[in-house]
Amino acid sequence: MELLIFYMFAIVSVAFAIFMIVARKPVSSAISLIGVMFCLAVFYVLLNAHLIAALQILVYAGAIMVLFLFVIMLLNLREKQGAISYHRTALQLAGVAVFCALLVPFMSMVTIPGTSGGAGVSADFGTTAGVGKLLYTDFLLPFEIASILLLAALVGAVALTKLKMK
Amino acid sequence: MLGLENIWLVPILPLIGAIVNGLFGKFMSKSSVTLWAVGSTGLSFFIAVIAFLNLLSLDARDRVFEKILFTWIQAGSFTAQAGIQIDPLSAIFLLIVTGVGFLIHVYSIGYMSHEEGYARYFAYLNLFMFSMLLLILGNNFLLMFIGWEGVGLCSYLLIGYYYEKDSASNAGKKAFVMNRIGDFGFLLAIMWIFWTFGSIDYTTVFPSASQVLPAGGFAVTGITLLLFLGATGKSAQIPLYTWLPDAMEGPTPVSALIHAATMVTAGVYMVTRCNALFNLAPTSMIVVALIGAATALFAATMGLYQNDIKRVLAYSTVSQLGYMFLACGVGAYVAAVFHVMTHAFFKACLFLGSGSVIHGMSGEQDMRQMGGLKSKMPITHMTMLISALAISGIPIFAGFFSKDEILLSAFLGHTKGNLVYWILATVAAAVTAFYMFRLYYMTFSGELRAEDQHVRDHVHESPNVMTVPLIILAFGAAFAGFLGLPIIEGGHALNNFLGPVFHTPGAPEHPHASLGLELFLMGFSVSVAVLGILVARHFYYVRPEAATEMAAKGGFIKTVYTTLQNKYYIDEIYDVVIVKPVVSFSRSFLWKIFDVKIVDGFVNSIASFVTDLSSLLRKSQTGMVRNYALAMALGGVFFVGLWILALGN
Amino acid sequence: MASIPVPDISLGAIAPEITLALTAVVALMLEVFAEKKGRDHIAYISLVGVIVACFITFRLAGDPSWTTFSGLYVVDRFGQFFKLICLLGTGMTILVSVKYNKDEGIDNGEYYALLLFATSGMLFMVSGSDMITIFMGLEVMSISLYALAGYTRKRARSNEASVKYFILGSLSTAFLLYGIALIYGSTGSTQIDIIAKAVSSGSGVEAVLDLGIVMLMIGFAFKVSAVPFHMWTPDVYQGAPTPVTAFMSAGPKAAAFAAFFRVFNVAFPSLQADWWVIIWILAVATMTVGNVIALLQNDVKRMLAYSSIAHAGYILVGFVAGGALGSSAIMYYMLVYTFMNIGAFAIVTVVGRKGEEKTKFSDFTGLGYRYPLMAVALVIFLFSLAGIPPTAGFVGKFYIFMAALKHGYVYLAVIGVVNSVISIFYYLRLSVMMYMQDEPGEDLPPLVFAPSLIAVMIVAIYGSLWLGIMPAGYISFAQSAFLAL
Repeated sequence: MELLIFYMFAIVSVAFAIFMIVARKPVSSAISLIGVMFCLAVFYVLLNAHLIAALQILVYAGAIMVLFLFVIMLLNLREKQGAISYHRTALQLAGVAVFCALLVPFMSMVTIPGTSGGAGVSADFGTTAGVGKLLYTDFLLPFEIASILLLAALVGAVALTKLKMK
Repeated sequence: MLGLENIWLVPILPLIGAIVNGLFGKFMSKSSVTLWAVGSTGLSFFIAVIAFLNLLSLDARDRVFEKILFTWIQAGSFTAQAGIQIDPLSAIFLLIVTGVGFLIHVYSIGYMSHEEGYARYFAYLNLFMFSMLLLILGNNFLLMFIGWEGVGLCSYLLIGYYYEKDSASNAGKKAFVMNRIGDFGFLLAIMWIFWTFGSIDYTTVFPSASQVLPAGGFAVTGITLLLFLGATGKSAQIPLYTWLPDAMEGPTPVSALIHAATMVTAGVYMVTRCNALFNLAPTSMIVVALIGAATALFAATMGLYQNDIKRVLAYSTVSQLGYMFLACGVGAYVAAVFHVMTHAFFKACLFLGSGSVIHGMSGEQDMRQMGGLKSKMPITHMTMLISALAISGIPIFAGFFSKDEILLSAFLGHTKGNLVYWILATVAAAVTAFYMFRLYYMTFSGELRAEDQHVRDHVHESPNVMTVPLIILAFGAAFAGFLGLPIIEGGHALNNFLGPVFHTPGAPEHPHASLGLELFLMGFSVSVAVLGILVARHFYYVRPEAATEMAAKGGFIKTVYTTLQNKYYIDEIYDVVIVKPVVSFSRSFLWKIFDVKIVDGFVNSIASFVTDLSSLLRKSQTGMVRNYALAMALGGVFFVGLWILALGN
Repeated sequence: MASIPVPDISLGAIAPEITLALTAVVALMLEVFAEKKGRDHIAYISLVGVIVACFITFRLAGDPSWTTFSGLYVVDRFGQFFKLICLLGTGMTILVSVKYNKDEGIDNGEYYALLLFATSGMLFMVSGSDMITIFMGLEVMSISLYALAGYTRKRARSNEASVKYFILGSLSTAFLLYGIALIYGSTGSTQIDIIAKAVSSGSGVEAVLDLGIVMLMIGFAFKVSAVPFHMWTPDVYQGAPTPVTAFMSAGPKAAAFAAFFRVFNVAFPSLQADWWVIIWILAVATMTVGNVIALLQNDVKRMLAYSSIAHAGYILVGFVAGGALGSSAIMYYMLVYTFMNIGAFAIVTVVGRKGEEKTKFSDFTGLGYRYPLMAVALVIFLFSLAGIPPTAGFVGKFYIFMAALKHGYVYLAVIGVVNSVISIFYYLRLSVMMYMQDEPGEDLPPLVFAPSLIAVMIVAIYGSLWLGIMPAGYISFAQSAFLAL
C-alpha cells in the first residue's frame, strides 16, 4: 500500500517538475511547482515526518508560492516568444539520456537492505514534540545559527534594495 | 673577533646598503649613497679577506666551517636550517665576488656619475651582492636557490635599467624567460634530491651520495642533468645562451660584475659544489663536457663578426664559461675554479676597459667608429692589452695557466671523446685570440674613425676612480695565474687548497702526463694563440683595408682572381678558406638560423602555445549563467561517472 | 511530563562567533543612531570586535580537542588556526574598506554587519564537526557574500556579480545538501566521526554513500572555486566591490578548505584511496586552467581572480598529499595567501580610484616612478603570489610540493612546479608594467593613501616577507595545529 502511494506520487511529482520547466507561461510553472511541493509533503507523511509535511504545505506550497505568484503578476511577465529550437532540445535530451545511462549502473549497485520500515526510528519521530526536542537539545547550535542566517539575509535584502546610498 | 664566526656579516652588509639606498636613496645626497653602497661592500670584502686568512690558518682537513643561523623550515622530518657554510671552494668564490664587486662599485662611482637613478642603481647592485653571497655561502640547496633567484632578479632589473629603451626591457624579458627554464630544472633537481636523500643540506647529501645513489643510475643522472639545465640557464650555455649577448643593454659595470665575473659563474659554482653527485653520473659528465666544449668554440666563432665592443666581450664570456664547464665535465674541478678566478680578473678588466672606452667615446659602442685610442687613453689601453693577452692564453698572464690546465685535463681525461674536447677547445683558443686582438686593434690602433665631431673632441681618459680599479684588475689578470703553476707539482697552491673539497667518492683520478707532453701541449696551445693574434694583427693593424676588401668582394672566382694577383696571397687564401667561411657560417647559420630560429623559436613557440591555449580556454568563460551551470552539471556528471565506473570498488 | 535532558553546552566554545554576531548588531545599531558624517567609527568598532574574537580564539584551549553541543561543534587547534586566518582576512578587509566605502558612498553599518555575519558563518564552518553545522555556517557566509557582492548597487557589474553568484551558489548548495542527505541516508548520521565509523565498518549502503561523497565534493569544490566549478569566480570577483573581492578570496576560501579537509579526512579516511584521484584531477585542472587563462587577462582584478583559482589548485595539491604534512602545508599556505592577496587587492582599490574605472593593466603603467613605495609593495605581493624567493609565497609553495613529494605524488608536484613557472609571467607582466614609462595621458589627481590602507599594506608586507624569511615559527604553529586524526 505504502509503496503504491509512493510510486503514484513519485510519478506525479516528476511529471509536475517536468511541466514546470517546459511550461511557457510563468504562472503555469508556478502552479506546477505547487504540485511538486504537495507531492513532497506526501512523501514526508510516508516517512513519518508529519511536522515537516505540514510545514511543507504551510510554508512552501502556501506562503512562498503565493509570494511567487504575486511577483509574477506584478512583473506582468509575457509568454515567452519564439519557437523552440529542436536542435537544442535534441541536444538536451541526449544529455539527459547520458546521465540516465550513468545512473543505471549506479542503481544496480544499490542493494536494498530488506524491509527498512522505520526500523530504529523512535516513537516520537517526526512529531512536533520530537522535532522540537531535537531542535532544542542536540541540534541547538544549528538552530541558533539559523537566527544569524535569517538576520544576515534580512540585512542583505534591505541593503540590496532599500538602503539609501550616496 | 672577526673570525669565521662573523662570516654572516659578509652578505648582510651589502643587504643593509641595499635597503638604505633603496628606501632612502632618493632623499640622500650622492656622496652618502656612495658611502653606504661602496662602504658596505668594502667592509664586506675586508671581512671576507680576514675570514679567508682564518680559514688558511686551519689544518687542511678542517677547513669547513658551518654556522647554523636559524631553523628556517621545520616540517615533519624535513628540516631546512638557514646557515652559512664556508670551505675552500666558497672561500675562493667569496674573495672573487667581494673583491671584484668592490672594485666595480668603486668604478661605478665614476661611470654612473652622470646617470639618473644613482641610488637605485647602487641599491640593485648591493642587492645583487647580497644574493650572490647568499648563493655561495648557503649551506643547503634551498638557500642556493634563493640566492640563485635573487641574482637573476637583480640581473633583470639591471639589464632593464635603461627602461626607456625598448631593446633594454626586451632583453630583460628574454633573460628572464631563458632563466625560468633553467630555474625550473634546478627546482626539480632540488625536489628530487630531497625525495631521495630526505634532506637538502650539503652536509647530509654529499657524504651519503655514493651510498644512497648507485653510480650511473637513473636517479643520479636525472638529478645532475636537471642541475646542469639550471646551470646552462644561469651560465649561458647551449641552448640557453642567447640572453647573455642581449644582456649587454645594461650599464657596463653591470656587465662586468654580473654578466662576466660573478653571476654567470654561479652555474660553475653549482656544478663544482655538487661534484659528489656529478662524479657518480658519467653520462651527465659527458653531457657537461660536450656542451662546455661546443659552447666554447661556438660562441667564440660568433664573436668574430660582432662590431659592438660589448657584444664581442659577451660572446667571449659565453665561450670562456664553456671552458669552465668543459673542465667540470672532465672532472678537473680545480681547473674550472681556477679559470673562474682568472676569468673574473681579465674579463672584468676587459669590460671595465670597454666601459672606459665607451665613456670616453661619449657612449659609442661600435668599434668601427673607434680606433687610435692608444695615445688618448693610455691606461685603458695598457690594461686592456694585458687582459687581452691573458684571455688569449699568452704565457705569464693569468689566462694562460688556467686555460692550459683545462686543455691538459681535456687531453688526458679518461672520459670518452676527450680528444674531441681538446680539439674543440684548442680551435676555440685560436679563435679567441683572433677576435680579442681584432677588438684590440680596431679600438686602439690606427686612426680615430668616429664621424661625429663632438665625439672626436671629447675623447678623454677616464677619471682615477675608474682607472684605478682597471689597474688593479689588470694586475690580477697578469699575475693571478701563478697561484696555479702547473709544472711544479708541489707549488700548485690552488690545487692543494681546493683539493679536499673535490676528494669525494668516485672522483676521477687524473693521470699525470710526463713533463715533456705537458710542455708540448702548452707550446702547441700557445702557438695556436699566437697565430690567432698574428692573423688579427695582419687584418686589423698591418693592412686594415684587407678585411674590408674581403668583405666587399663578391663571387668566389673574382676572389680567387684578385687573390692570385695579390702578393699577400697566402693570407688571403687563408682568409677565403678559413676565416671567411667560418665568419659567414657563423653569421648566416649559427647566428641567424640556430640562434634566432631554433633557440629563440623554441622558446617563442612554447610561449605561443600557452597563449593559444589561454585564448581557447578563455572562450569558455561566456558570461552566461546557464553555461556556467551547465559546466558545473557536466563536471558533476563526469566525477560521478568517474567514481561509479572507475573508483569506488 | 518527562524532563528533557539538556546536552552539554559550552557557550565559551562559540564565544568568538557570538562576539562577531554581537558586534554586527552593534554596527547595525550605530548605523541607525550615527550622525550622517564621519562613520569611520563603525568600521573601527567592527575591527575591535574582530580583534576581540581573535583574542578569544587564541585563548581557547584546543589541545586536546573537545566537542560540545552534542558533538556538533569541535574546538581544536586545526579549527583555531583557520579561524585566525578568517579573522585576519576580515580585519584586513575592514581596513581596506574604510576609504573605499566612503568614496563609493556605501559606508553603511550594514556593510560591516554583513562582513561580520559572514565571518561568524566561516567560524562555524571551520569548527563544525557535523554536516549540519558546517552547512549552516556555509549558508550564513554565502548569503552575506551574495549581498556584499552586489553592494555597489549603482554598478551594473556589481549587480550582475551578485545575481550570478546567488544562482550558481544555490546550485552548489543543492549539490552539497543532496550529498549530505545521501550520506545521512547511507550511514544514519550527519556527525562526521559517527559517519567515519559507519563507513569503515561498511554498514552503510555503499552506492548511495559514494554518490553522496561526490556530491559533497562538488559542493565544496564550488566554494573553493576548483575547475570546472570555478566559472563564477572571475565574473563575481571582477564585479564585486574590490574590498569584498579581497575578502572573498581569503577567508571564505580558507573556511571552505578547512571544512572540506575536515570532512574528508575525518569522515572518509578509509576511502582515501578512491577520493584522492578526484581531488588530484581537480587540483591539476584548477592550477592549469587558472594559470593559463590568467596569462591573457587585461584587467588586474580579473587576473587576480584567475590567480586565486590557480592558488586553490596549489592548495588542493596539499589536500591530495594529506596527512600532518599536507594539512599544515595547507594552513601555512592559506595564511600566507591571505596576507599577499589582500595586500594586492588593497592596492587595486587605490589605483582603481572612484568607481573602479582604473583596474586595467595599462592603468598601472608608470606607477613605479610616481609611487615608488606602493609599487615596491605591490611587487612584493606579486612576487609572493608567484612564489619567487625569499617571499612567503615561495616557502608556501615549496612546502606544499614537498608534502606532495613526500607522499609519493611526484607528477602532481612536477605539474605544480610547471604551473608556478607559468604563473610568474603574468605576475611579472604587471610588475614590469609599473616600471614602464608612462605615456602622457589625461592628468589624474594623485592617489590618496588613507592611514587605514597604509596599515593594511604594512601588515601584508610583513606577512609576505617575514613569513618567507623566518617561516619556522609559523610552520611549527601550523604543525602543532594540524588535524589530529
